[in-house]
Amino acid sequence: MLNKLLIPARAIALGVVLCTASLPAAADSASDAKLEELQKKLDQSLQMIEALGARVKELEGRASSVAAATPATAPATAPAAQPAATPGPNSQRLEAVEQKVAQIETANATRQSDDSGLPIHGFADVNVGNYNLYFPYYKGTNVGSLDLYLTPKIGNSVITLAELIFETGPDGHVGTDLERFQIGYQFNDEATVWVGRFHTPYGYVNTALHHGVWLADALRRPKFVNFEDKGGVMPAHTTGVWVTGAEREGNGKFLYDFYTGNGQQIQGGTVDMQNGGNAHGAAMFGTRLSYQFIGGAADGLLVGVNGFTDKVNDDSSIDPALVRLNMAGAYAVYDTDTWEHIIEAYAFRDKNLNGAPGTHRSEAWFAQFAYRAPWGVPYIRYERAMLDQTDPYFNEQTFGASYYRSALGVRFDINSKSSIKVEVAHTRNTDERPATDYRPSDAEIGLPQQFNEILAQYAVRF
Amino acid sequence: MCCAAVLTLLAARCPAEMMRGGVGLEDLPQGWHDDRARELALAGLRGHRVVLTMAYASCHRLCPATMDEFKRMQRVADARGEVVDFVIIGYDPKNDSPAVWHQYRLSRGLDRDNWHFLSGSQAATEQLARQLGFPFWTYDEHVMHESRAVIFDAGGAQRTVLGSRISRWSDAL
Repeated sequence: MLNKLLIPARAIALGVVLCTASLPAAADSASDAKLEELQKKLDQSLQMIEALGARVKELEGRASSVAAATPATAPATAPAAQPAATPGPNSQRLEAVEQKVAQIETANATRQSDDSGLPIHGFADVNVGNYNLYFPYYKGTNVGSLDLYLTPKIGNSVITLAELIFETGPDGHVGTDLERFQIGYQFNDEATVWVGRFHTPYGYVNTALHHGVWLADALRRPKFVNFEDKGGVMPAHTTGVWVTGAEREGNGKFLYDFYTGNGQQIQGGTVDMQNGGNAHGAAMFGTRLSYQFIGGAADGLLVGVNGFTDKVNDDSSIDPALVRLNMAGAYAVYDTDTWEHIIEAYAFRDKNLNGAPGTHRSEAWFAQFAYRAPWGVPYIRYERAMLDQTDPYFNEQTFGASYYRSALGVRFDINSKSSIKVEVAHTRNTDERPATDYRPSDAEIGLPQQFNEILAQYAVRF
Repeated sequence: MCCAAVLTLLAARCPAEMMRGGVGLEDLPQGWHDDRARELALAGLRGHRVVLTMAYASCHRLCPATMDEFKRMQRVADARGEVVDFVIIGYDPKNDSPAVWHQYRLSRGLDRDNWHFLSGSQAATEQLARQLGFPFWTYDEHVMHESRAVIFDAGGAQRTVLGSRISRWSDAL
């Protein structure tokens, strides 16, 4: 309070001194009457300074008496803190205004974001290459995606998340997709329940790097763990219920995920998460258990295992039941200020449900190694998918062929919100895929058997 | 008369804020804990210059670069024989606990006593970020933020804001 009054007083005094310093020059050409008038004003200013000084002393005295009379726990407005002398009406008004300003400042500083509307953040990317980075039957420039990320605050424990994306699809047209829509309840740090459409908790990439491509060091995800409509062959999204949490254990953290959701369906050659529910009511069940090392020699290391079982149908009206999809996997990540290494491996043991007896074995894995240098992030990646083509789950998918891909790339950050990534890659599909009742042949689609890519990506966040 | 008094008061307040250089240490929320879970009052750091930033422990992109800038500033301060307090406040209180910050310090050799890695409540963290202009948002477990720091003088008044436009923060010390 005293400081706040002293500062204006000093400001006024400073102004008076400056005015005084400029007076002689003006007086040289002014009349005696004007000089007298200025002298009078100067006297008035000096009187005002004296009055303000007296006021400051008075307030200092009040502050001392308040400090002496008021217990530490008593509010500042307690009756005991009232000064002996009653301040004048102007002083009361000034104090009232000052208190109001302070209240406005405090309210502004502590204003919760739910009072200021819903902030919209997100990501966007554009790409240039001799092939489309997801659909190699296209070449040239593509607009990538515009990712709007919304997290409206409902309360301290009720949490919501929506990720709305405009992106180029396999048909070359821009479409809209509500990639994630979850409403959850956070019991504590150890347990959160989500209901809605979420990224299926398997491996690392699917729940760590999401849709905003700016976030990832690499230009794109490994093909087989990409999203369903971008060439991925796994159920990257699930519509259901997900319980997740973490528990600190010594020099590390134990993380868990349990989830169940609608059994998925292959529609038009792509795995679909059945947003509206499925026709048969069968469910998908899965789990992931991980341990993150914190500190010590293993600082930055995350290891985990995961698995799910899912009854998958197709969109055939004759016999939609297709396959019991069973997956087991493991992953390891070494993520530090200097290195980012990711390894994920999956094994599939699928059982036919479409009348033709049999089980199928498939494997897929990738390894990526990246170095975080001050000038950029170079990375190298190898991925391999050996997918049994007698397994209807893979055979009916447009991008379900076995393949291997080796890639070398680098990320450059333009600033804290934008990056340019460049990647060269060689891809070879190792299955001959003739046309079936459900899809045309790879040749008819225009998928090259093997191809070399040079890709560039400009990605931003906002 | 009343309006004139109000205008006089409001006009007088603006120069005062400018003279103090904006939000001071004493204006910031309190209730912070360092990486040994000891309470630390930001206003109590007056007496030395203070360089304050916000970071999160699992950041591997911007925050390591900020720590490198702070190390360079520390070297400049050492060469001058000046004591400067470096304050790092966690963006993500849910994960940036004192224990996590302690491991962070150990693993990066940031063990000087004048470096303070602080954790606070979610409300205090958001309020401080608003007051000092550290815009951030979270994308699942990731915190989207800027590279930024604020220098306070020995009296606790904010003096300089450091950002990506200043290539070498140590030049501003």
